[in-house]
Amino acid sequence: MSEQNSSSDRVVASSGFFASWRSDLPASIVVALVALPLCLGVALASGAPLFAGLIAGIVGGIVVGAVSRSPLSVSGPAAGLTAIVFAAIEKLPSYDAFLLAVCLAGAIQIGFSLTKGGVLAEFVPSSVITGMLAAIGLILILKQLPHAVGYDRDPEGDFSFWQPDGGNTLSALVNLLRNDILWGAALIAVISLAFLFWWDKARPKEGPLRLLPGPLVVVAFGIGANSLFHAVAPALEVTKSHLVNVPVSASPMAFFALFRLPDFTAVSNSTVWTVALTLAIVASLESLLSVKAVDELDPKRRLTDKNRELLAQGTGNLVSGLLGGIPVTSVIVRSSANVETGADSRLSTIMHGAWMLLSIAFIPFVLNLIPLSALAAVLIATGYKLAKPKLFIERWGQGMTQFIPFVVTVVAILLSDLLIGIMIGLLVGLSFVIWRSLADVITYVETAESVMVRARRNLYFIHKPQLQAALARVPDNHTVLIDLSGTNYVDLDNIDIINAFVKSAPYRNLRVVVKGDARGKLAPLIFAPLTRARAT
Amino acid sequence: MHEVTQLMLHNRAWAAEQLVEDPDFFSRHVADQKPVFLWIGCSDSRVAPDQFTQALPGGLFIHRNIANLVQPEDGNLMAVIDFAIGVLMIDRIVVCGHYGCGGIKAALAGTPTTGPLGEWLGHARDVYRDHEDEVNAQPDEDSRTNRLVECNVRDQLLHVAGTAPVKAAWAAGRDLQLHGWVYDIRDGLLKSLLDIDRNTVLAGVGAPQRVLV
Repeated sequence: MSEQNSSSDRVVASSGFFASWRSDLPASIVVALVALPLCLGVALASGAPLFAGLIAGIVGGIVVGAVSRSPLSVSGPAAGLTAIVFAAIEKLPSYDAFLLAVCLAGAIQIGFSLTKGGVLAEFVPSSVITGMLAAIGLILILKQLPHAVGYDRDPEGDFSFWQPDGGNTLSALVNLLRNDILWGAALIAVISLAFLFWWDKARPKEGPLRLLPGPLVVVAFGIGANSLFHAVAPALEVTKSHLVNVPVSASPMAFFALFRLPDFTAVSNSTVWTVALTLAIVASLESLLSVKAVDELDPKRRLTDKNRELLAQGTGNLVSGLLGGIPVTSVIVRSSANVETGADSRLSTIMHGAWMLLSIAFIPFVLNLIPLSALAAVLIATGYKLAKPKLFIERWGQGMTQFIPFVVTVVAILLSDLLIGIMIGLLVGLSFVIWRSLADVITYVETAESVMVRARRNLYFIHKPQLQAALARVPDNHTVLIDLSGTNYVDLDNIDIINAFVKSAPYRNLRVVVKGDARGKLAPLIFAPLTRARAT
Repeated sequence: MHEVTQLMLHNRAWAAEQLVEDPDFFSRHVADQKPVFLWIGCSDSRVAPDQFTQALPGGLFIHRNIANLVQPEDGNLMAVIDFAIGVLMIDRIVVCGHYGCGGIKAALAGTPTTGPLGEWLGHARDVYRDHEDEVNAQPDEDSRTNRLVECNVRDQLLHVAGTAPVKAAWAAGRDLQLHGWVYDIRDGLLKSLLDIDRNTVLAGVGAPQRVLV
């Protein structure tokens, strides 16, 4: 063993909240641009007013960002909640009653935070988390391909295999070929993608250009190219339906009139409470998974306080509901775009919220010049980063216990949705745990006149077949030592098996002696003479 | 990481784990020790008796020296036997050799003969001298070593039987039993060579059967 070098002397002390603004500023602008169509798309798919999605995006940035301790996670309206939100708005008497449910969900999440529910996130194995990231990357590519060529039937930000338009991810791609491709949109997307991949490699390490994010260039290029089409090649021009479409208000006053308050009288409506509880649980799960995944993407590998995150998410939903917004969660697409563009602290997510607020309030008409296909190019590049072939090869190299849960998670998420896919991945991961813990738990040794059956670890009901098999091997006319001294817990199922064996002993001329656990707790439960588990 | 740092960390971890398994672990040890076996074995680092018998602290009273030799002039071991039988009231004594013992190999080779090590190994060379024909009859180096390991256990066990505390215990009617074993490094198994109790005629104890084959 050699002495290990400590490299901590190279860590630069950060000086305050704004220390990393040089990295965070460009990232925040890119994330805001990517977030705009996603907020609108999620609101559309949720059957909520479009403006409610923007409120959620702004609150997810400013409020959640301020309270959270995750450096890189970005929150906002989430694709994973659209189905629940859509059904809830249908079921509840009014949209304002739904807003109350959002507020209550936030309060419940704060409750989860106080009861330390965040630790649940740590139980998800990293094979499942990376599976989730890879699946989101693939979905992003598949779902954005139609948008890249101007086919926008499925709302932006939809993540489920079965789409609201009745088709599915694959049928959309097939339909795409049957329908007219918007060549202008496609041209912008192809050039943008080529630029993004080139810039990723060619970006200078020194000088001012090093901080220029490719996505920003792509958005500017998209606007420029489209106005060029407008001027010289009208056939190629990307029209309003394939541009960002932020509601434009006539005046600042009209803008603030778009905010609305929840209907507090609905508090006696039991449906409001069931919706609130469902939202709280699902939003918390999604946020915890996302934050955990973003921690894995963080180049500095910082670890987020998950209970604090629940507090942040709860506060976010409370505020979003109060202002008229749909629920928020931590979201992976925006977060990974944040990581990709080099953000370093939560200053980025807070600023992204501020940019959204300011741009919607003051320059919505500029936002509405951005072709969706330019943003699709940005998201496809992000998706590729999440689902690189290298990632699959790495997991393959780590062996089947890593690769199988990973691939199952990817496929399950692709064919169902995020939460169901994660649950399936978790079950597969868990079955590996059980399988591993079944191996070699009982030692069986035998001499001419004696036998030992020894538990190497604690015995739970899953170990019953092994204990039974070992006891079944004991030949008649022997002295048997059942050694539980290596355990501190043996459940009643296994105690029953031992006691049944003890009862059968006299009929087989066996003399059974049991060595109890170190703490001596098992002794009173076993009907056999005990030898001491310890020497003193 | 420095070896000493690792050792100290392992010690902390061990102490913490004992408390998790059994909160009374150390408080019981403070009170008393009641070991069941006196173990006389070789110092070889690979031959760790409490590990290969899964004995817990408090189970074995252990004396180890090079080639597990028992000599009446070795005041250290004589005090150990005296204490074990007279105070701890131990009734089970094991002398345990092991496969490929380095001390025995040195005795066979005849070097070193000087210095503390050479002098100590003189006792093992005595064993070789007494069993020379049988040992030399073995076909190869390894077999000669292992046969001498076995003969050595027999001779040392007889030395234990001849000590005053053992004789006194038998005279007092105690059921004191002596066991001669070898530990086989190749498979981790203990193999029995011979047993001696108060009824054994010491003059009649012959060469043990071969077990390290």
